[in-house]
Amino acid sequence: MRERPRTEKAAEPLQEPADEARELAQKLGLAPYDVNYWVVDYDEMNELIAYNGFQQRYPHWRWGMQYDRQQKQGQYTGGKAFEIVINDDPSHAFLQESNAIADQKAVITHVEAHADFFARNRWYRMFADELDAAAMLERHARRIEEYMADPEIDREAVEQWIDSVLCLEDNIDQHEPFKRQYEREEGDEDIEEAELAEKLDEMDLSDEVVQQVFDEEFLDEQEEAADLDEPEMDVLAFLRDHGKAYDAETEKAEEMTEWQKEILEMLRAESYYFAAQKLTKVMNEGWAAYWESMMMGEEAFAGDDEFLQYADHQARVLNSPGLNPYQLGKELWEYVENTENRREVARKLLRVEGVTWRNFHDTVDFERVQDLLAVDHRIDAVDPENLDDLEALVPEKVDGENLDRAKAGEIDVERYPWKLLTYAGLAERHFSLCKRQNRGFLRSISQQDLERYARYVVDDARYATVEEAIADVEYTTGWDKLREVRESHNDVTFLDSFLTQEFVTDNEYFTYEFSRTTGDYRVASTDYEDVKKKLMLQFTNFGKPTIAVYDGNYNNRNELLLGHHYNGVMLDLQQAKRTLERVFDLWGRPVNLKTIVKEVDDRDAEIARRRDREPDPEEVGKLLRYDGEEFTMEDLDWTEVEDVAADEVDYDTKPDDWLA
Amino acid sequence: MGLREDLERYREVGEAKREDLADFIQYGDLGQSLPDEIKVPIKIVDLPEFAYDQRDQGGVGQGDPDVGDPVGEPQPQPGDGDEDGDEPGEEGGEHDYYEMDPEEFAEELDDELGLDLEPKGKEVVEEKEGDFTDMTRTGPDSTLDFERMFKEGLKRKLAMDFDPDFLKEVLKIDGWGPDRAFQWARDNAINVSKPWLEETYDEIPDDERTEWRSIEEVEENVTRRSAAQKIREDGVRNVPFRTEDERYRYPEIVEEREKNVVVVNIRDVSGSMREKKRELVERTFTPLDWYLTGKYDNAEFVYIAHDAEAWEVEREDFFGIRSGGGTKISSAYELTAHVLDERYPWSDWNRYVFAAGDSENSRNDTGENVIPLMEEIPANLHAYVETQPDGKAINATHAEEVDDYFGDSSEVAVSYVNSPEDVTEAIYEILSTEAES
Repeated sequence: MRERPRTEKAAEPLQEPADEARELAQKLGLAPYDVNYWVVDYDEMNELIAYNGFQQRYPHWRWGMQYDRQQKQGQYTGGKAFEIVINDDPSHAFLQESNAIADQKAVITHVEAHADFFARNRWYRMFADELDAAAMLERHARRIEEYMADPEIDREAVEQWIDSVLCLEDNIDQHEPFKRQYEREEGDEDIEEAELAEKLDEMDLSDEVVQQVFDEEFLDEQEEAADLDEPEMDVLAFLRDHGKAYDAETEKAEEMTEWQKEILEMLRAESYYFAAQKLTKVMNEGWAAYWESMMMGEEAFAGDDEFLQYADHQARVLNSPGLNPYQLGKELWEYVENTENRREVARKLLRVEGVTWRNFHDTVDFERVQDLLAVDHRIDAVDPENLDDLEALVPEKVDGENLDRAKAGEIDVERYPWKLLTYAGLAERHFSLCKRQNRGFLRSISQQDLERYARYVVDDARYATVEEAIADVEYTTGWDKLREVRESHNDVTFLDSFLTQEFVTDNEYFTYEFSRTTGDYRVASTDYEDVKKKLMLQFTNFGKPTIAVYDGNYNNRNELLLGHHYNGVMLDLQQAKRTLERVFDLWGRPVNLKTIVKEVDDRDAEIARRRDREPDPEEVGKLLRYDGEEFTMEDLDWTEVEDVAADEVDYDTKPDDWLA
Repeated sequence: MGLREDLERYREVGEAKREDLADFIQYGDLGQSLPDEIKVPIKIVDLPEFAYDQRDQGGVGQGDPDVGDPVGEPQPQPGDGDEDGDEPGEEGGEHDYYEMDPEEFAEELDDELGLDLEPKGKEVVEEKEGDFTDMTRTGPDSTLDFERMFKEGLKRKLAMDFDPDFLKEVLKIDGWGPDRAFQWARDNAINVSKPWLEETYDEIPDDERTEWRSIEEVEENVTRRSAAQKIREDGVRNVPFRTEDERYRYPEIVEEREKNVVVVNIRDVSGSMREKKRELVERTFTPLDWYLTGKYDNAEFVYIAHDAEAWEVEREDFFGIRSGGGTKISSAYELTAHVLDERYPWSDWNRYVFAAGDSENSRNDTGENVIPLMEEIPANLHAYVETQPDGKAINATHAEEVDDYFGDSSEVAVSYVNSPEDVTEAIYEILSTEAES
């Protein structure tokens, strides 16, 4: 990190809130990385945002573009950048100088939750066990600067190379741990050679034939044309190992130079580093929004005078237009918490003598349950005047040591009541089912859920009364579950596991589709399966189509064959063409892409229009080929695209009688 | 940070990817631009990637509509790029523009066409009140430069002030007394009066009057404070204000040379001017307007439409008008003469008069009326742009007649635009005519 004496000084008044937020976060069960806070001015903030939060990046016009857009956005919308936090150990967070203190506190609580997520989510371990991202990016920046400054190397060529690699930055195998170049190469090569020797043996050819036909040149070629047992998702790695650079002057494919390979590998590493954040956008943003709201709102981390400002801040963040990952994530985390707490309460109630899943709604007095669940008033509203009341709750719910300190006047109980409570105490204080907005949640449990929960009720553990059952409720269940989920899930599994009809209905999500007949986008479905499908489409594989290498020696001509794993949504063909041009730069020889497109003939479209229906498109296999000069596109027989067509998923959510 | 450089590179990349200016003028969509902001389409700046077909992808929204309700344009979706800035948003390839102001446009066009037009003609001299930086000795109280007066006073005080403590010691030199001390003060440029020395000497008790043996001894033992030091230590008291130090601020007179230009655009809107011809006129005139706007400090435009009669119109209507009547080009020049005389005197304004049409005119009108009017109306440049996309009509001789009459004059240009390819050539022809002179 660069020296910033001025900004560090400005950060001093924020040291107390930062320390307190850390303590509170830990009390709430979070375990964040250490965070270094930096205060920066507006321009520096924009610069950091342009660089994705880091201070040093390799020279590239794209950062300039991001900066330009960020600035224009700021100008036109009065948009304000509240926070930027980078995934590193320790994490670094940047606060804007001009933020009001309430904003700063909100940002700090938000950042602490992000730092917890970075440290605990397993997808962040895929890149490296020991993280030093800033140092890595700085190293890359220096290397690339050196190459650009090298008089032997054309600066423009370096820039173009970077451009070409960046076009494929999402085409990695983000679900596998990142392996650096050399780790990967070693194992693979030996196997290839051994396999080839074995195959030649099997063919039982005479030595002469072997020597004449399968000469060294042939063997070299074979080695290069990597044999793929299954499609390679890490397109960048494949190109690094088998690609060539196209030399426009000689019009030939040349071996990649050292700088080309190195840059490709560095950018690939950066892709893997940023992948975790892209894989967990909804979860991570929702997680931070959830805990920010817990700390700021419910634990009154913002003083009374700051609260309005804070509320305004949060409204702006959560009410941005469109599908908002903060909002979706926060709602989903709250839903997970609620359902988990409900399950806990329901399971306890199902053990009460006489309560079964069938008669649950008729026999349980929900008002009564709600009263019994109510948070112990001593921890609900910690009374600084009657600290002795809390004595009885030590050690389970009240932190005895801090209670003594509070009595000695060392803790400002008025301001930080949470300091007296333990994790269990805080969990009870914030038990979600006791909140007003969730009052009806227990009652709304479905018969199906009840039946499922009832299966695990063992006969010998019955409660005689509802009172007994509720007294046994673990208030920490919800939070424990949240942390467990944040350890192991990514956006796709998160949505898949927890998005239910109840959630979709309560939060009013719907899908929309483009109608060819009306020429605009129309609401298609409010069914949760459909909403889930559409959301999964947006979050699976970074929301991008899956492209893998299918053959490195296509048609025995050393051509590259990419396959688009077609899931019912077709490619943007124009962009695919422009991307193929870039792939050509990295392969050096002709490149092919097989895909499936939807075609609607004009007559069908016209008939559909007259009947107010959607035309039924025909799915056709296509091979798009670029040879360095021109594109060709030819139809492929269905048998040739079967391997890229996925028939188990269909992301189309158009109802049959949609426009009727 | 290297970000400045990245930003510059981005601008360069953006500029490199903008449509070639000549192509843009000839074939591009001029309609996206405003008079003072030229939007040249950028081919595509952002890097491509494998992406879903946006329409086929659909999306998710939040709210409570019914199935089948239109949702408007798709809402921004995560992954489209957002607050984390991990990816810039797609702003839609076809809607990206490289924006340039008329100055840049003029510069670029100079580069591209090898032009070098220096705005000339009238340099209008204007007197303006500049900053209040001049000084006079009298003036209203509110313009009194107190700061200056204070400084002058202080200077005077510094010059006049002396260190009384030190002089007192000087008076104590054995055998000196006021006379000798006064002489010494004079020699050392210390502004002390003789009466002050005498008075002070009187106050010194006798036994102290022989305290020091020599001036050297005093200088060695007594710290002498300069006036500045004294002011710093004791503060400023009694700064002497004198009338002669009073200065009143007065606005500086700035002679500003403004380069004003008025461009008269004349267009034949008669029946024979069909769609294609109109478009060619627009393609020629619009870049000329931008160019001149960029070259001059202040540009105004007059739009005159004519058939057999002429009338003034607004810019937005100018290229769209069609009328049925015949053609009499001189009507437009009469109106031009009138408008220019009334509103844009030749003494204050550079004038450009650009006319366009298909060269059809009423019999004898060109020779008898138009040419004399063109000679009579003083202007930096008169130009006629002939558009004949479908080949020449026999009676369409206006351009030729004008061309023949004026020949190589640097004040009159005639050019022929029969297809979009001719546009840049015509623009060059027109602008270089004046530049050559």
